[in-house]
Amino acid sequence: MGDLLSLKQSFLEEVSAVSEAAELQQLKAKYTGRKGLVTAELKALSAVPPAERPSFGKAVNELKDFVERTIEEKESSFKDVEKGRRLLAEKIDITLPGKPDIPGRFHPLNRVLEEIKDIFVSMGFGIEEGPEIELDYYNFEALNIPRHHPARDMQDTFYVSDDVVLRTHTSPVQVRVMERKQPPLKIIAPGKVYRCDADVSHTPMFHQVEGLMVDEGVSFSDLKGVLELFIHSFFGKGTPVRFRPSYFPFTEPSAEVDIGCIFCAGKGCRVCKTTGWLEVMGCGMVNPKVFEMSGYASDAYTGFAFGMGVERLAMLKYSIDDIRLFYENDLRFLRQF
Amino acid sequence: MRISLEWIREFVDVAAGPEEIAHRLTMAGLEIEGMESIDGDVVMEVNVTPNRPDCLSMLGIAREVSSVFAMPLKLPKTVIDGPLPPSEVQVVIDDPDLCARYTGRSILGVTVGDSPEWMRKRLEKCGIRAINNMVDITNYVLLELGHPLHAFDADRISGDKIRVARAGSRRSIMTLDGADRKLDQDTLLIWDAEHPVAVAGIMGGEGSSVTESTKNIFLESAHFTPMSIRRSAKALGLKSESSYRFERGTDRVFLEHALNRAALLMAEIGGGTIRDIVDVYPGKFIPAEITVPFRKVNSLIGIDIPRDEIRRLLSGIGITTEDRGDEFIAFPPAFRGDISEAVDIIEEVARCYGYDRIPARIPRTVLSDGVLNDKERAVRSVREAIRRSGFHEVVNFSFMNSADLDVLSISDNDHEDRRKHVMLKNPLRQEECLMRTTLMPSLIRNFLYNHSRGLRDIRLFELSRVFIDWGNQLPREGLRLAGIFFQDTTPVIWKDTVPPFYLVKGAIEALFEEMRLKDCSFLPSGEAFLHSGKSADMHCRNVKIGYIGELGPEVIERLDIKAHKPLIIVFEIDVDQMLEHRDQKILYRQIPRYPAIERDIALILDDQISAAEVLNLFRSYRSDIIEHVGLFDYYKGKNIPKDKKSLGVRVTYRSAGRTLTENDAEEVHGAIVDFVTARTGATVRGAA
Repeated sequence: MGDLLSLKQSFLEEVSAVSEAAELQQLKAKYTGRKGLVTAELKALSAVPPAERPSFGKAVNELKDFVERTIEEKESSFKDVEKGRRLLAEKIDITLPGKPDIPGRFHPLNRVLEEIKDIFVSMGFGIEEGPEIELDYYNFEALNIPRHHPARDMQDTFYVSDDVVLRTHTSPVQVRVMERKQPPLKIIAPGKVYRCDADVSHTPMFHQVEGLMVDEGVSFSDLKGVLELFIHSFFGKGTPVRFRPSYFPFTEPSAEVDIGCIFCAGKGCRVCKTTGWLEVMGCGMVNPKVFEMSGYASDAYTGFAFGMGVERLAMLKYSIDDIRLFYENDLRFLRQF
Repeated sequence: MRISLEWIREFVDVAAGPEEIAHRLTMAGLEIEGMESIDGDVVMEVNVTPNRPDCLSMLGIAREVSSVFAMPLKLPKTVIDGPLPPSEVQVVIDDPDLCARYTGRSILGVTVGDSPEWMRKRLEKCGIRAINNMVDITNYVLLELGHPLHAFDADRISGDKIRVARAGSRRSIMTLDGADRKLDQDTLLIWDAEHPVAVAGIMGGEGSSVTESTKNIFLESAHFTPMSIRRSAKALGLKSESSYRFERGTDRVFLEHALNRAALLMAEIGGGTIRDIVDVYPGKFIPAEITVPFRKVNSLIGIDIPRDEIRRLLSGIGITTEDRGDEFIAFPPAFRGDISEAVDIIEEVARCYGYDRIPARIPRTVLSDGVLNDKERAVRSVREAIRRSGFHEVVNFSFMNSADLDVLSISDNDHEDRRKHVMLKNPLRQEECLMRTTLMPSLIRNFLYNHSRGLRDIRLFELSRVFIDWGNQLPREGLRLAGIFFQDTTPVIWKDTVPPFYLVKGAIEALFEEMRLKDCSFLPSGEAFLHSGKSADMHCRNVKIGYIGELGPEVIERLDIKAHKPLIIVFEIDVDQMLEHRDQKILYRQIPRYPAIERDIALILDDQISAAEVLNLFRSYRSDIIEHVGLFDYYKGKNIPKDKKSLGVRVTYRSAGRTLTENDAEEVHGAIVDFVTARTGATVRGAA
């Protein structure tokens, strides 16, 4: 047994001195190979007195396992070191930039337009379209704005001929839809509109979203509910909203919708002209005359309509202070959205 | 309109401060858009909507203040004690359809001079320039009471006769601003015994105006039909404070008070004596009687306002009512010409009740087909696909002019109808007189804008409508997608040497893939503005849906781009056509069970033979084990003769029913290579 102990001792000394994988193989052969030192002890088992054989055999086998296990562990640690060395050699500079594969951006007006559409679609409104070059009839007359009505001054019009105009709002879409479909109706009409007007705060083309809901028993209270919900989705919950009386020929009662100034939290600043409020849309209950002109029974149905300027909402949303930026299409502007 | 708070307070003794008054008026529908302090007074800018001409005066605003704050209204003295000697001027109305009432008074022996300080100041605060005391008084009363007046020099009215009649054959009149105005026959004029002396309700004539030497005044206060005034003012291109009010509607009952107020001021300030009133009144005012069911008021507003409350609110703004059980009759006052229907009354109830007191409620409604409709979704995915390829979206005005088409050499008989444009009658600028028939000019402009500002990676797209005049009343509106691509050779860290044409073509092919377009091909383009050797028309199922190519050298020259000649790739696609050719039905096909065998072949062939021709030949070969034919290499240069190119083609073989052997593939591959080389004269590269 003393031999076994000194054998283990000398193995431990030798194995700790090994520095590369090849030497390990030699060590393995020296101890547990066919002619190895531990193997020799096993072969000498027959020379041991029978009474001691079991315990001696057990001790030799344990030594054999120990040697094999130690060599395996050492081997695998050599492999790890080797692998580490190889990976280190393959190291790259991860701070170099990636190959640019940067997608473009959507125009801020279209981003806002899509957000508006998505909110109303989620409330069950359908999207409708109509021509941008429109008949005077649909743009004005069917909306209770006859030819010599002062309300025409509210909208400077581009004319193609006496009867054809560039639509000044997307409201004519509502009329076209009402001619085609019976109530109940819940639609929005987004799109480009044109007014013969260009200065610091006006462009001759801009974007609008108009909405219309017609059913039995629709009230001004419903209108307030839908628009408040919209404003809270678009500008955030808790945005103050107020409705104040106004005038549009195609709605009655009519209202302008203001939100609490998002720049000064209602305290009064340059943007809100110190009023603390920002006008964001117009709305009202559909004038029965408009229903009659579209062939709806004005005593059976009521409805509301609203309209908003997309430029205005986008300017508020992104803090843009000049409407002309939208149409200069400067990449340094476009890349920001 | 500008209003003076100090002036308003003469009519209603309101204690509230300017902020409070501005807020309450705004919430009552008279939006205060601005405020400034002038000499201890507060001047407010009020936005008066076109339906409320009764608010275009201090009195009108004061009336609203009085109802909002529930304070009494005080009126200035407008009664003239008689008896007075009759006026020597006679009035006749020839066209009562355009003039419902005409009143006048003579004020004799006045001294024309400067107005008193207080009057001049008030006029100036409200934006009206002082002229002389007589004219100033008419303007002062216009601002104060809202009714337009006109003062004539009575001695210059020939025959002491005023006649109200259309222009008829009279062609022109010299107005008091010294301009010779052309007249149309329906314009209403004020005539004396011989000549026209004023354009009714719009502007006085030069021959009858009040001057420094005027001694006697004839003062007019009349009612003219709004539509006629508006039409004439438009035709003459003339707008005045008077026409602005007349075309919105004036109060034919009250006009007499305005006349008296001005006459009294003239006598007081100018020292004249007042003659009796002349009053011709063919179109008597008939008050409206409007029946309104109580139930309708509450159902439209969406709230339960008690009946008494409804009637009380209306009486606060001068509308009297009679209770008739389930409904009531409303009688609006003469100054509220805008109220004629039940909804007008309901609006007034809501306005006086306060919009802010009406609760917001989410409506209970039926479900609707309110989903993003198919076209909306498709257009979104088009924009998304092209954006993903690195293009930034632009939005341009829908205008162009014909020079834009000239730059692109678009001919008069263009196949794409780009010369069939819609023209505006009143463009803002000559450069914007046509509606776009192509988006390309806008995109080129966007490129130039960005390029001149030093940007060197310019990839832009727009998706908008174009307008083609096809002979009908309304043009055809079509959706187009257009793009422009420019990158200069600034060194980049990871080299990518794909020629720009193929970069853009790749983006388009990715778009077509996204749209699931079938049978698309690129054929040589006939577009005159593109490089003839580097351009293609895109076809889908043999219909042209767009073009792609490098802008031709002539176009580049015309654009006068500084520095080197840039290489610009453009494209434009008819989105309506593209969407029509979409394959929208997705059907699952079984994933192949058996392995494929791939064989590559490199062919050296004549440069004139296009890659598409070669691939089509491969694909035309009939064999049921050819799964796919694709290009994997294109090479020109060293080791290849000058007029030749090398194409590497990979053919994938697979059987649906069994595992192919090498021999199966080899057999077909040999035959297909023979088939192609025999038809193209190609040699196999690397073959002995």
